[in-house]
Amino acid sequence: MIEFDAIFYDGRTSTRNAVRVRGFPRSLRIVGAGYDLEVPLAAVRVEPPVAGTRRLLHLPGGAQLQTDDDAALRALFPRSNPLETWVHGLEGRWAYALAAVAVAAGFTWWCAVYGLPLAAELASAHVPTSIEAKLGDRALESIDQTLCGPTAIDAGKQGELSRNFAALTAGQGDGYTYRLEFRACKGMGPNAFALPGGAVVLTDALVKLAQNDAQISAVLAHEVGHVRHRHGLRLAIQAAGLAALIATLAGDAVSITGLAVTLPTALLQSGYSREFEDEADAYAFRRLKEIQLSPKYFAQILARIEESRNKDPDANRGSGPERRRSDLGYLSTHPATAERIERALKNQ
Amino acid sequence: MRARCPNCDNPVDSDAPKCDKCGALFASGSAAWKPVPVADDRRYPVGYPVEFTASAGEYFRIWIVNLVLTILTLGVYSAWAKVRRRRYFYGHTRIDGEGFEYRGRPIAILKGRLIAVAAVALFYGTANFAPSLIWLLAILTACAAPWLIVRSMAFNAYSSAYRNIRLRFRGTYLQCLGLLLWTGFILVVTFGLAYPYFKARLMEFLFRNHSYGTTAFEVPDLSYFGIYVRAVGLGLFVGLAAALGGMFFNAVVGDGSRAASTLIGYIGYLFIFSYIRAEIANATWSVVRIGKASFECALRTGDLFWLYLVNIIAIVATLGLAAPWAIVRAMRYRAQKMTVFAAGGLESFVAAESAEVGAEGEEIGEMFDFDLSL
Repeated sequence: MIEFDAIFYDGRTSTRNAVRVRGFPRSLRIVGAGYDLEVPLAAVRVEPPVAGTRRLLHLPGGAQLQTDDDAALRALFPRSNPLETWVHGLEGRWAYALAAVAVAAGFTWWCAVYGLPLAAELASAHVPTSIEAKLGDRALESIDQTLCGPTAIDAGKQGELSRNFAALTAGQGDGYTYRLEFRACKGMGPNAFALPGGAVVLTDALVKLAQNDAQISAVLAHEVGHVRHRHGLRLAIQAAGLAALIATLAGDAVSITGLAVTLPTALLQSGYSREFEDEADAYAFRRLKEIQLSPKYFAQILARIEESRNKDPDANRGSGPERRRSDLGYLSTHPATAERIERALKNQ
Repeated sequence: MRARCPNCDNPVDSDAPKCDKCGALFASGSAAWKPVPVADDRRYPVGYPVEFTASAGEYFRIWIVNLVLTILTLGVYSAWAKVRRRRYFYGHTRIDGEGFEYRGRPIAILKGRLIAVAAVALFYGTANFAPSLIWLLAILTACAAPWLIVRSMAFNAYSSAYRNIRLRFRGTYLQCLGLLLWTGFILVVTFGLAYPYFKARLMEFLFRNHSYGTTAFEVPDLSYFGIYVRAVGLGLFVGLAAALGGMFFNAVVGDGSRAASTLIGYIGYLFIFSYIRAEIANATWSVVRIGKASFECALRTGDLFWLYLVNIIAIVATLGLAAPWAIVRAMRYRAQKMTVFAAGGLESFVAAESAEVGAEGEEIGEMFDFDLSL
């Protein structure tokens, strides 16, 4: 017969009663501290084991037995809580814990590098362009409120560049309504960036830096590449996915510090756009040749942007063909400019 | 009224018929044994230290195994994982040798999580894709906030038991709504300066509506003004230190003054955060009474600051693997600094009938990351 010591709480008061419990095939008999109770086994709800804590048995009527005699309970209730009992076994061994570390690390790495980008690409294909356009409009609104002001480029020049842009984007048949936006953006330097849905923003500094319109068209072709490949939307989905992933993994660690969570996010995030830049470059080279422009103009403008950035490292913040290499150089957000210039020249 | 037995010094009630420990009978009359009144409650009642027996290694294994199971089940298991983690911590928090018990049921939590995911998706979906409806969202959020607070408090209380007696939270939606509207109004007209007033009223609301079984938590009126005034003073000091530190760094090293200022600023912020945490916990718990039980909470700002700082560095340096260690450490410290005083022991609390509470409030609150730690 199985017997064990336990503490009995009657469920009405917090009085602790030391009792002796005897296990019979169909019932438990609880004796001691003035009690002599018989409880059918089927009416007992067994709490699963947790390392280093007492085992708990809920009895009918809200009473409870607590005991340290794990072996007795295992013998009495061999089939209770199969899932938690199995998990408890895994939790008890360092070998399983280390294997779990490997699985968790591998999974996180795979998600960040392959899973999320792939999921974002698949998901973005199902987002209608009208929603993308809305996202883009919202982004432009917030850019106008924080980073950029009205342009100082004269209307004639604007018209000329817009006509070139129209030629660049004509006949794409991809459902986007392309439009060129001129802005003067402080602290961004010579730059251009694509927003989801077809708006491309060109900074005054870039217009001034370019030696001819062909160079500007070359940059714009690169940005159109970002739009067509839905990079903005994909990045947004990836960021949301990554945040969700990290929140899930970190669980209750989040409350300890936000910093520990945001830092890895930033590190992973910066790795994404490499592939996107290459994709956009490849599109630009192809499209430029289609409209009878040489990709060498792309090489030229990249070289000029690089040069201007070297002169004034602070002037290159923001996003665009030459985003933030100066202040986040160690994260290598973009493939080395020299490499891209070389590729452009090869593609002439 | 607290007293002690004249025979064995065991704490007893002044109107007790006999001593629980030595069995001495107390009777009326001049020659009989009588409980000796104790002037200072604080000095005499038996102090029960709060023990925290969790170990970092054990919790690490529980954490990582449950995390991986959550991953492998695409998140479905997360409800079970939460229950296991909580049960571990509750069970290892002991007073008078008896552990707490977490009674949240995974299925209830899973249901709550699914509702929470839908709510979050609706919230961000509306915010991003239908910004014209943002006002509707704001009204909905305002209406939902008291509900979230009340429901998550109620779920957590209902899920927590000690000596087989559940905690209970009786605060209602309307009470909470009234409180938020009133304090919100005061906050707006004082441009946020009344934040300590808001915080004190909220804590009073949360504590006073809790009970352990049938025994209500009692809290006198709270005031946190002194704490926040000193915190603002600290803030000014930190700002000054950051500016001076930046200048000093600039003069000595020549570059990176902004980084130096930022670093000093962050560390200073952590210090102020620790100060507010410690002082509010001390000021509140030290005046809480649950029947004959009272508490002493003696957190120290310096300790807490150092604890958090080391935790942050450890978590970042190990890419999160040190999180279980950090959490166990933080909880152990808080437990160590807490003592329960109870004349006549902890044996005479009475359970109450309470109705089951769903987990949606708690889960939605968690997803939106609001923290109402007591």
